[in-house]
Amino acid sequence: MFHIAKTEWLKIKRYPAFWWVMGITALTYPGINYMFHSVYNNITEKDTQKGKILKMLIGNPFSFPEAWHTVAYFSSIFVFIPAIVVIMLITNEYTYKTSRQNIIDGWSRNEFMLAKMIDVLLLTVIVTVLFAIVAFIIGYTNTDDHTVSHWNMSYYTGLFALQTFSQLSIAFTVGLLVRKSFIALAIFTFYFIIVEPIAVNVLKIKFNSEAGQFLPLEISQKLLPKPAFIGRLDEAGYQASLIAVKYHVGYTLALVALTWLFCFWLYKKRDL
Amino acid sequence: MPPGTVFGILGPNGSGKTTLLSIILDVLSADQGNFLWFGEQSSPEQRKKIGSLLETPNFYHYLSAVNNLKITNSISGRGDAEMMLAVLEKVKLYERRNSRFSTYSLGMKQRLAIAAALLGDPKVLVLDEPTNGLDPVGIAEIRDLIMELSKKGHTIIMASHLLDEVEKVCTHVAILKKGTLITTGDVNDVLVDDDLVEISAADMNALSSVIKNYSNNIKITRDGNLLHLILPKGTAKLDDINNYCFSKGIVLNHLLFKKKRLEAKFFELTNN
Repeated sequence: MFHIAKTEWLKIKRYPAFWWVMGITALTYPGINYMFHSVYNNITEKDTQKGKILKMLIGNPFSFPEAWHTVAYFSSIFVFIPAIVVIMLITNEYTYKTSRQNIIDGWSRNEFMLAKMIDVLLLTVIVTVLFAIVAFIIGYTNTDDHTVSHWNMSYYTGLFALQTFSQLSIAFTVGLLVRKSFIALAIFTFYFIIVEPIAVNVLKIKFNSEAGQFLPLEISQKLLPKPAFIGRLDEAGYQASLIAVKYHVGYTLALVALTWLFCFWLYKKRDL
Repeated sequence: MPPGTVFGILGPNGSGKTTLLSIILDVLSADQGNFLWFGEQSSPEQRKKIGSLLETPNFYHYLSAVNNLKITNSISGRGDAEMMLAVLEKVKLYERRNSRFSTYSLGMKQRLAIAAALLGDPKVLVLDEPTNGLDPVGIAEIRDLIMELSKKGHTIIMASHLLDEVEKVCTHVAILKKGTLITTGDVNDVLVDDDLVEISAADMNALSSVIKNYSNNIKITRDGNLLHLILPKGTAKLDDINNYCFSKGIVLNHLLFKKKRLEAKFFELTNN
């Protein structure tokens, strides 16, 4: 296992796209949160009656402990950035025919797939650490009352990691199926940004069905409900979405297991 | 395949040479049939002991020669840092060892693939068209290298459509056509060379009728102003032929001994 991880690191550590994307992720996480933070400040810091009421009503979503939740929600929108690297890491193996060479050199097909799973795990860990750093800094700088526990809602780090791993695994599966980087990137991005959100809403509005929550990305999307200050506009819905989280942890774990079982099976079955 | 041999797999384009090698390297699965490596069923552990070059040089384009070899080493366990430099020196890539693979010419890529196969001095080498893309000097170098390895007792399985190459280095040969094994055995038994003599005279018709009676084992074909005489290996004696014609009143104006009929033999074996 350690040997496989070491080999993957040899492939990744000098891959320019990896460092570019990590750099972009490191900028977008603070960027998007800072943007929403500014919007919040603009509204609440106005000395109007409306601003004061709003502040009283929703509190500060960027202070502890809610900061973990808010930052996780906004950061998770950008999962398609690390997804680029995930897709490149598998499609490169086909473009360079190195998936075949790795087997010729002595890996079993399962070892190859395990190596790729380690890649996805590694990326998940890196973006989760980035998220945690950003969430902590934002939370710390926005919390006036330091008697409040900083770590109360830090379990959102775990939910963020699970959602990221699940969605990156799906991006990986698309890459493995399609094998061509740009087509895979286009399919994943199109599905992530357009197809699934529309499908979820069509099911909900047109057919009055909640089946949308079981679509591949939506399953884990539900791990990070809308932050309190948005969610509170519909208090009942917000509470329901919080309760649903624990079920979706189970659904997501099942989906992750199925996704990887499928990938291992496909790679074993397919000629290289 | 007898140990210590250089086993050539010959056949026209599309005859199944690479397919055969892909099957024994577990890149493709066979519809039927079986093979053993070192007397045992094929496994990743056994592939680690084999140096292979299959079809094209497969490397990570963004990595240098050294970093690509590190991956080969990490997967197969063959060789070490010192040996990497030694094999790069052997294939004359040492000077460019730190350049990215993507900057290499076709010949350099092929050399790196040979270097990767040589890493760790494996006892068995599988080389698919090893001289592809190499210049004449490069081809001669690889040929010498194969002969050197053969002398040291390595077993080499080599696919090629270059008859000259096979004839010069192989001890054994198998000929394939459309996926079927046509013949196999010692290279001297399979590719028996007949003697070929070219003759010409002013009166071609007279020459044609006279030469028929030169020997019982003669086959004659006419090619414009030349007659091709095919005689069993080692029986063509130019002075005898010249004498014979002269005694029959014909003066030859062209008499040429052509030993090789390998190409004709190959066509004969693969075309019918």
